[in-house]
Amino acid sequence: MIVWRNLACALACALSWLPAPAQTQESTPGPQHPGRSVVMSKCFQCHTDAMFRDQRQDRRGWEAAIYRMIGRGGLWTKEEIMLMADYLGTDFGPNAKPATQTR
Amino acid sequence: MRELVAQYLSHSISRRRFVGGLTKAGLTATAAQSVLTAVTSVSYAQGAGPQPNPPPAAAAPAAAPAASAPAASVVAGVKPFQGPGGAAFADQLIACGVKYVFGNSASEDAQFYEALVDRPQLKYILTPHEGPGAAMAAGYIKASGEPAIVMQAAVVGMANAIGQMFNAFKEQTPLVVYSYRTDQTRRAGRDGFEEVPNQEQIVQPITKYSWLARRADMIPETIRRGFKAAWTPPYGPAYISWHSDFNDERVRTEIIAQELMDPRMRVRPNPDEVQRAAKLLVDARMPLMVVGDEIYKAKAVAKAVKLAEMLGMPVTQVRQLYANFPETHPLWVGSLAGNSLNSLNYPKSADVIINVGNKFQHNGPTPIVPRGPKFIDMRIDHGSMGNVMLTEVPLVCDVGYGLDDLMAAVEQLLTPALRQKAVERTGDVRKFSEWAKSARAQVVNNPDWDQSPIIADRLTWEIAQFADPDAIIVHEAGSVALHSFDFNPIGGRELFFYYGAHLGSGVGTAAGVKLARPNQQVICLVGDGSFIFGPTALWNMARLELPVITVVYNNHAYGGPHSRVIANVPGGRMMQTGQFVHDYLGQPDMNMAAIAKGFGVDGEVVESPGQLREALVRARKHTVEGKPYLIDAQVARKGVAWADKPWVPPIQVASLRQKKV
Repeated sequence: MIVWRNLACALACALSWLPAPAQTQESTPGPQHPGRSVVMSKCFQCHTDAMFRDQRQDRRGWEAAIYRMIGRGGLWTKEEIMLMADYLGTDFGPNAKPATQTR
Repeated sequence: MRELVAQYLSHSISRRRFVGGLTKAGLTATAAQSVLTAVTSVSYAQGAGPQPNPPPAAAAPAAAPAASAPAASVVAGVKPFQGPGGAAFADQLIACGVKYVFGNSASEDAQFYEALVDRPQLKYILTPHEGPGAAMAAGYIKASGEPAIVMQAAVVGMANAIGQMFNAFKEQTPLVVYSYRTDQTRRAGRDGFEEVPNQEQIVQPITKYSWLARRADMIPETIRRGFKAAWTPPYGPAYISWHSDFNDERVRTEIIAQELMDPRMRVRPNPDEVQRAAKLLVDARMPLMVVGDEIYKAKAVAKAVKLAEMLGMPVTQVRQLYANFPETHPLWVGSLAGNSLNSLNYPKSADVIINVGNKFQHNGPTPIVPRGPKFIDMRIDHGSMGNVMLTEVPLVCDVGYGLDDLMAAVEQLLTPALRQKAVERTGDVRKFSEWAKSARAQVVNNPDWDQSPIIADRLTWEIAQFADPDAIIVHEAGSVALHSFDFNPIGGRELFFYYGAHLGSGVGTAAGVKLARPNQQVICLVGDGSFIFGPTALWNMARLELPVITVVYNNHAYGGPHSRVIANVPGGRMMQTGQFVHDYLGQPDMNMAAIAKGFGVDGEVVESPGQLREALVRARKHTVEGKPYLIDAQVARKGVAWADKPWVPPIQVASLRQKKV
């Protein structure tokens, strides 16, 4: 357990590839999930996409992950948390295709 | 008379004959005694060189306490000394203000141990491993503000303590470390037992000062220089050494009070720069203050609060050892989570930033203080100023004095309109800090909150509910987010963080903190990985009756390296196969409560929030009775790619065994 307290904001810069997640690349461009813009504006101060690029989990798992970031400095309203969890659970849920090419 | 003095200094005549000669020359008995005292003092100060050792039969009483030194001093704080080097060592430590020696057994320090018998004011604490022992000393120094020394056996003991010397260097703790060179003067350089060339140079990059005394009578002077270097701000560790036979050698030398050597490095800032800083601050649209450890060390927290209040200035902190500002204060906007002040939730557009006492640990290429805002940097650690950030106004000073001067200058510039602006800004910052407080309180809404094994955030939260209002939290649980404690260094809860990050410091630090602050609750939060690097200080807690509560966040894993490795190789073979060789500490699971019992500390394993609460009640009962207690809290592994049963490398010797032995 070796990390920094100020690694803190911790969630998901991981998701810096979010502008073009694999699943949406293959579908017809449509209205973006409102949670996406919250993730874009609230997570990337601290994260790169690397840590979570291949993470897939259900909405509850993402919600728990977001709540774990609160102790590390993440500050959101409850509505923002729900929006982010909805979005991540949809676009990065268990059945979403991998975002990166296999090495 | 000149001839008499020369004969006495060259040991050609005895003291009695010297005094007799003076009275024959016409001096009164009183005058003759005065001359004797002065001449003796001069002879000791010059270093009369090594005195021949008495024959073995007469060696025993050599370690005479300082009180029986041959002559009284004519200078306050300076005492002539005659005796073994080891006894001079002890007397000089006392003169340096040392009360505790944190040591591990070293046979060549025999004369020092001998001297301790008649010097009960110098207390020796035997530490069963040099690393946790050094951490204990550092914890004591940080919590008491008083000097201490770490003693080890030669280079082998020093090597064990190097990790904690590194921590002291990074966090700027005035830790003085001694170990002898095992080679004796007359056989040095022959690659003897535990001998290594240039021993003192091994630690040179991580000390402010490292030195090998060249003569036995220079032991006290070497000690004084070590303490002077360590305790002259900016603080840091020092290492002193000498050939082991110097401890046995009889010497004439001087013992000098440390205050006579202190350069009083508590300086005021340049007045012109103070005026410039004050002008920038009062004219700022949105000033921002960053606080750091020099504030805690200078006992200037209240002054930092006052400056912030004068200007209605929001306050944050970048990674440090202590909490340097009350986290309950309405101007506190939270610690910096990212790598730049731009990542703060509030304020988003500071135009003037003042740093008071923060060394700024850069862990990324981005400057913590962004380009754009005017930057005022107030620190005594001038060496680290201006290395990364552009500095508009440097204020090199003791931050206590610096804050005094800056507040006086600001006061002169504040007009009624500016005061009103500060009041309005305070209202804005308060709105944010109140919202942030409610946002942070949402940590309890995690859908995993009630699960077993307990999640780390729940464990932290429960301890925060349990801790005394003035508890001291020693934190060495790397990937654990520290929240809910509301630290307040002005009479509230205090934090001792693991800034240096050489692991194995937590338990020892907590023991040292409790030694220094016996009337405050001390709780050590430590990860299982960190704990297992340095549990031996538990034995010191049991022996010294240091009632510390140790809580191990035991997820049977190196959680931080797990996540960072995945981040470094995203989508790689490790992720595809689930084969991580470096992070899983289970199979078999380590039982930290059982380990504690082996060191004489009661403890238990808990898995659920309910069990935890009951265990904390038992922990409090133990500490009230003066006993330490350990809780091994089973913590859920959370994060990317953790399997329920993580893969373990298939290295098994069973198939290779031909004989059942």
